[in-house]
Amino acid sequence: MELSLLYFVKILVAVLAIIALMVGNAIVMVYVERKAAGFIQRRPGPYEVGPWGTLQAIVDSMKLLAKQIFVPANADYILFFLAPILAFFPVLLLFLPIPFGPYLTSWETPDGIILILAFAGFGVLSNLLGGWASNNKYGVLGAARAVSQSIAYEIPLILALLAVIYQAGTLNLSEIVEAQGSWPWQWNLVCQPLAFFIYLVSLVAETNRAPFDLPEAESELTAGFHTEYSGMGFALFFLAEYANMLLVSFVCATFFLGGYKGPILDGFWWTFIKAYLVMFFIVWIRWTFPRVRFDQLLNINWKWLLPLSLLNLWVTAIVIKVIG
Amino acid sequence: MASSNFNFINPFTFLNVQDSPGTYVGDFYTDNFEKGARAGNVILNLGPQHPSTHGVLRVLVELFGEYVLRSEPVLGYLHRMQEKMGEVKTPYQYLPNMGRVDYLNPIAWNWAFAGAVERLAGLEVPEKAEWLRVVSAELNRISSHLLWWGAFVMDLGGVTPILYAFEEREKINDILQIVTGSRLTYNYFRFGGVGQDADGRFVDLIKDFVPYMRERLKMYKALVTENIIFRRRLEGIGPMGEDICRRYGATGPIMRAAGVMCDTRRLYPYGIYDRFDYDIPTGPTDDCMGRYLVRLEEIKESLRILEQAVRDIPGGPHIVAKAPKPAYKLPAGESYFTVEGARGQVACHIISDGGKTPYRIKLRAPGFSNLSLFAEAAKGTLLADAIAILGSLDLVIPEVDR
Amino acid sequence: MRAIWDNIKGLYSLLVGMKITIVFLFSPRKTVHYPRKVVERENVENYRGPLELTRGKKDPAKTPCISCQLCVKACPGNCITVVKGKEGKAPSLWTYDFSYCCLCGACVETCPTGALAFSHRVYMVAKSREELLLDLLADLDDRVKKSPQLEAKTDAKSDAKSEAKTDSKADAKAGAPAKKDGEEPSPA
Repeated sequence: MELSLLYFVKILVAVLAIIALMVGNAIVMVYVERKAAGFIQRRPGPYEVGPWGTLQAIVDSMKLLAKQIFVPANADYILFFLAPILAFFPVLLLFLPIPFGPYLTSWETPDGIILILAFAGFGVLSNLLGGWASNNKYGVLGAARAVSQSIAYEIPLILALLAVIYQAGTLNLSEIVEAQGSWPWQWNLVCQPLAFFIYLVSLVAETNRAPFDLPEAESELTAGFHTEYSGMGFALFFLAEYANMLLVSFVCATFFLGGYKGPILDGFWWTFIKAYLVMFFIVWIRWTFPRVRFDQLLNINWKWLLPLSLLNLWVTAIVIKVIG
Repeated sequence: MASSNFNFINPFTFLNVQDSPGTYVGDFYTDNFEKGARAGNVILNLGPQHPSTHGVLRVLVELFGEYVLRSEPVLGYLHRMQEKMGEVKTPYQYLPNMGRVDYLNPIAWNWAFAGAVERLAGLEVPEKAEWLRVVSAELNRISSHLLWWGAFVMDLGGVTPILYAFEEREKINDILQIVTGSRLTYNYFRFGGVGQDADGRFVDLIKDFVPYMRERLKMYKALVTENIIFRRRLEGIGPMGEDICRRYGATGPIMRAAGVMCDTRRLYPYGIYDRFDYDIPTGPTDDCMGRYLVRLEEIKESLRILEQAVRDIPGGPHIVAKAPKPAYKLPAGESYFTVEGARGQVACHIISDGGKTPYRIKLRAPGFSNLSLFAEAAKGTLLADAIAILGSLDLVIPEVDR
Repeated sequence: MRAIWDNIKGLYSLLVGMKITIVFLFSPRKTVHYPRKVVERENVENYRGPLELTRGKKDPAKTPCISCQLCVKACPGNCITVVKGKEGKAPSLWTYDFSYCCLCGACVETCPTGALAFSHRVYMVAKSREELLLDLLADLDDRVKKSPQLEAKTDAKSDAKSEAKTDSKADAKAGAPAKKDGEEPSPA
């Protein structure tokens, strides 16, 4: 594509829209998560601020904005502030290649999924820096956990996506959506159930959500890598967590659930419905299961998910060779 | 947040305690504990403000990676001089303290102290009072186990079950409030009886509660006990055999999980427990899972006792005619009375010289002995396992510190 | 093979747990939403709140207290102060520091005239320590003003109960005592 002024304006508008989406998503998801947690636990959840507590998340973010930012003694000042920023901003880039609708892609690139997988690594870097720089033993333990967990789970995640990529024969996300049909039985979910399952498990681990929330394991490490963060530092980590959740949900919708295609009237609403169903699944299991232990977490990955995803990839390759 | 903090630290200074003497100033316990640490190992303070120490317990651990090499519980953050208070108050005035020693299982402590005074004074307790004592103690045992259940699952990362446990706990609180008047720190027992008689609503609510609780136990089983993550977290973790239990004086569910029939209700019978038909569950395994299962079985056995109790309610007064007044003086002598609390053997030893107040009161807290097993059981486990072991001991810090 | 089978069974157990929570997600709430709802009356009636003076059998406007100081001596927390008045036995000052009170009931049980009872003020709120120093004579006067005549009662105990009813009515700002949400046994 030519580098014209129009092109830059388009990207700029897209980035602004994505920032709005990320912040709006965080506000909505904080409310949805707290309300779902409340309902699962048979209590009303947020109730006082606004009708049915809908303004609670906004008021909470105001509180976080107004809070003092505390820096522990002997903390690494630069890295301490760099970490939350590093957690939040790379996620922006990752939304660029996602096809929200048939004509609603910020940046139509042939290597969209490569971009996403490459920049997703920044998230763990920020966790590591945050834990390391805050001069806190819990933080260091959480950071160490975050790194080994992220490295481990990226492999089955990529291998699961690779099976779909083999099938579609492209790295372009829009083309992967186009390769799927409108009806649920034409989605990749049906012909790649194992890959879908592996991806689902890995995405929970990759976004550090319960039952794989080891880096911030509350009952063990108080808050893990963000123990010492307060105010906006904490808010940025929080935003990044929800943005990451949204991203992996969009990728899941694109790869396995037919993206913007639906039984009636294709459009971006289908992408959002599907992505938010995946988000609800993540919230739902968080409030259901206890946390796994660290060695079990790695065992699940190296002993089960990795061989299974390799097997899945192998079978896919053979089937494609035989049929195609 | 002064910018004077701007400096790039040597990242190993706080990890390596041996190499930087003088830079780290700890208290007595930290200093002593650090002397034994190998260079490169991390000394971590779990608590006194930590989400999973349930109050203000502080545990010093030496970590090699995620492995716990040594640990040492530090007590006394909630020491309230309960035993000394017994020496300055008359026995009657001291009775409300018993609700505060262990706020989750106050009835057992009520019973231990009231029983010791009654034994010393030779007071007879009416039948109705004994019935009320058994019923309230069993209800309290269930509510204590329920809170432990929720908190234990929360230690393992499952946040939801504790709120389900609280549903049942509220029901028990409603029932116990009818006779005791309060919802947490019950001051129910009196010397020679109990404070208040039960009415029909008390019995009706218990009759409703027993089948309801059985249904909920099935839900607990499906949601938590059979959950694979939960089972893998507990099976084989923190084995505490009979040997170590006997060495440290552990009682209650910990001892029973080791396969020893150790229950004060059977070993030193008191009250009218001999009228009821119930089993003492002993654990299949002596690990965290065994202790978990024993406690859930105990809830079932307590429900059995309640079920039999509401079938046959004795009549008569709920307190002896000439019950001791606040200025009551104990006769000279000694007495010891022990009951089965939710956490193990609760006992009270009174020495009186015939004066206005007792000469000495000794309270035996089961949590104190149970906690002393932790350091040995947690050696060589992962940090997450150490938390699970700590949770499975069912510690109530006010009771440990007294 | 055994491990694979165990893991498949484990996955099934996870599904069972997820089913339980999704059912609870769509079942009614269990909590009582306080300012809008209050717990049932019968649940409040046996609650022991701060002390109150009962009303005399002969003269419902006066306390039967004879300033004998027995409750002062019995109290483990020394939270009661009773000063005898100039004429007769009636007290001129009856204060009670609720912040020291452990609600043990020693005073109520020792009172020879039945002048003391536990109130049932579940919703009592104090914003400072001074507010917890309760003047029970003033409190009694307040209640007398509210309902000058005592309903036909036989003894001091049920007397106290009726007082509590009016009290809890006044406290429950929602007016009519709403019923507790979801008191029925759960479908679990």
